[in-house]
Amino acid sequence: MSFALPGDQIQLQSATNVVVGPHVRLDGTSVTAATAGFLVNTQSQGSAVCYIEADSKRYVPSSQDFVVGTVVGSFGESYRVSLSNFSTPAVLGFYAFPNASKKNRPRLKTGDLVYARIASTDPDLDVELECFDATTGKEGGFGLLEGGFVFDVRLAYARHLLRHQDAPVLTKLMKKYQFELAIGANGRIWIKSDTLQNTIECMKAIQNGQNEKQT
Amino acid sequence: MVRDYDISNNERQFVLQALEQNVRLDGRKLLEMRDVDIFVSPDEYGYVEISLGKTKVACRVTAEIAKPYEDRPFDGIFQISTEISPICSPFFESGLTSGGKQSNDEVLISRLIEKAVRRSGALDLESLCIIAGSKCWSIRADLHFLNYDGNFIDISSIAVMVALLHFRKPDMEIDGNNVILFDQDQRNPVPLSILHIPLCFTFQFYNPNDDEENIKGNLNNELILLDASLIEERLSLGSMTLTINKNKELCQLVKSGGLNIDASLIMNCCQHASNLVDDLTKKINSVLKHDAHLRENPLEKELQVVNQRDT
Amino acid sequence: MSRLELYSPEGLRVDGRRWNELRRFECRTNTHPHAADGSAYVQQGNSKILCLVKGPMEHGANLAAGTKLDANGPVLSITINYPPFAANDRKKRQKNDRRLQEISIILKRCFMKTIVLKNYSRTVIDISLTVLAMDGGLLACFCNAITLALIDAGISLYDYVSAISIGLFDQTPLLDMNTLEESDLSFVTIGVVGDSDKLNLMLCEDKIPLDKLERLISLGIEGCHRVKQLMDHQMRVAGQELQERQ
Repeated sequence: MSFALPGDQIQLQSATNVVVGPHVRLDGTSVTAATAGFLVNTQSQGSAVCYIEADSKRYVPSSQDFVVGTVVGSFGESYRVSLSNFSTPAVLGFYAFPNASKKNRPRLKTGDLVYARIASTDPDLDVELECFDATTGKEGGFGLLEGGFVFDVRLAYARHLLRHQDAPVLTKLMKKYQFELAIGANGRIWIKSDTLQNTIECMKAIQNGQNEKQT
Repeated sequence: MVRDYDISNNERQFVLQALEQNVRLDGRKLLEMRDVDIFVSPDEYGYVEISLGKTKVACRVTAEIAKPYEDRPFDGIFQISTEISPICSPFFESGLTSGGKQSNDEVLISRLIEKAVRRSGALDLESLCIIAGSKCWSIRADLHFLNYDGNFIDISSIAVMVALLHFRKPDMEIDGNNVILFDQDQRNPVPLSILHIPLCFTFQFYNPNDDEENIKGNLNNELILLDASLIEERLSLGSMTLTINKNKELCQLVKSGGLNIDASLIMNCCQHASNLVDDLTKKINSVLKHDAHLRENPLEKELQVVNQRDT
Repeated sequence: MSRLELYSPEGLRVDGRRWNELRRFECRTNTHPHAADGSAYVQQGNSKILCLVKGPMEHGANLAAGTKLDANGPVLSITINYPPFAANDRKKRQKNDRRLQEISIILKRCFMKTIVLKNYSRTVIDISLTVLAMDGGLLACFCNAITLALIDAGISLYDYVSAISIGLFDQTPLLDMNTLEESDLSFVTIGVVGDSDKLNLMLCEDKIPLDKLERLISLGIEGCHRVKQLMDHQMRVAGQELQERQ
């Protein structure tokens, strides 16, 4: 993994199939970095993947991200869900739940927490969320989060935890505590343990983990 | 439009449950303050930075010679500017975007600091008079709010007081109607005359029962906590700020509505604050003493820098 | 300047009261039946306050543009009108006088806990206060006037909020201060809910030794209860009259 700054030319190993990921700009035939961060070159399903792992302060929704959001109101046939403080809320349709119908749909209240997936991010429209698995249409762990506590971490750390479910902090915590966890790519983590004290302890452990070096 | 933090019901319930069990998210007890970290500028007079957990403010005190107010010819001028910019949190809007109208919190904070420090006579204004009616010192304290994690009021009062205590104004001599100011190299600058050190303590109230019980009942088990963090402050149902000095004088107290609290509980809060004020005053004095010591022994200061690099 | 004897050795104050005596308290409700939904006039000694309440309504005239209506309760807007002729020194006040702004915020927070919020979601209650004459006890008079006007407007309250100011002369607490006393002595204003010992609002702007505070508060609570009785009596008389007229 190497460090890249905006404008750096990126040398690609294989000239065949390259998937260009976030923060990398394709300029004709040359590939340049657009953000400061760590350059990642990996292989995935036969093609080279190239992206920059950067830590930004504010969450910018991108499609298929898993997020933890707060319902801040309802409007027409959809809920408004805040993904981060002081940002435009995203939209979660009343029927964007598994097997939801006019008669049978989850009724969320203002202030409820949901775990959702970003369905679309058209720049001209509001960000849309869905609460079911895109491939199966089943619940897939999405939906209302009851109890527990939610806290903020750095965006890069949240992404890291989402991708590495075997991160040492999580595996070690799992040995000691019982807890439910929902990690949002928007830098919010929801956690619920058997007791209040344990929840706080787990929260502290995960929070402190973001100050450690990531490998 | 003033936006607020989006706090979920889960967080609300969790924080309240924790408080009922006498637990706070950062591991403190209900009536415990966060550690106050005081930084005084080693190079110049009158610049300090105070942190209280993640909350951080800076204060700079400056002095200039001005004409006193006409109705108070024997007094100097003392101003405190407390404009909260969105630097510390998007929660506070700048004067431009909010149409020049300050939010409620902002008005309360600036009024409280004003009352706690200025009205309580912490700074001896008469000593700032140079020539009655024509010249006086005008002291200005500029507060800059750098990061918001609750409890701006208490930290601001500490910042203003430490900055005033740390500040030195140039020495001067009066020659007829002329005032001769001396450079820092010619004569040692002189400290301001500070009469007492008022410090603010803000208590937040929470209600484990419903509204009805709070108003009619006599359980009096409302939860009271000191030095709230951001989330605690946003969830609070009422607050009370009192300003007190080492001499056990109450300089100012405001409980602006909110939860109804029994008089005996309020007295307990006052008592608790009067215990804390001693420690805090001692801490402030020791930081200032250390700074003065380093200034007198510049060699030691240089050595200290080397030592710090070694570690 | 001759120094006024604020509290004589015989125990009399400048206006001839004893330490624990209120000034003449007079109040009337429904003074402006056509101009507002609720109105009250409160006179404490020479302090005279008029309070008009409009609402609950869907839109407030004095509301800042873009203020969101709250789903959990009403939005209170309190405007204070303090004309130059009201006080001893004829002073024109700026529109955004900090002190009045602060007082209106304090009153707002105080009544948000006293009004039964759930009955008034997504509404605006507009309270306007006018000072006709001021002779001490600004905040206390405001508070009492608002309570009466809200009752007159038929807005549901949990209980009365009655407020009074108490000063400290040396060792003696003095109830219900006038301007002369206020300018020379430290004082606190406290507001009490109903007949309880619970403080809803409390404001102290001057130096007071901590050990004296308790006595001030206990005298204040007593005073507040007395003011509450006087207000309650007046309201019952007014109610009786209404009943007889029907």
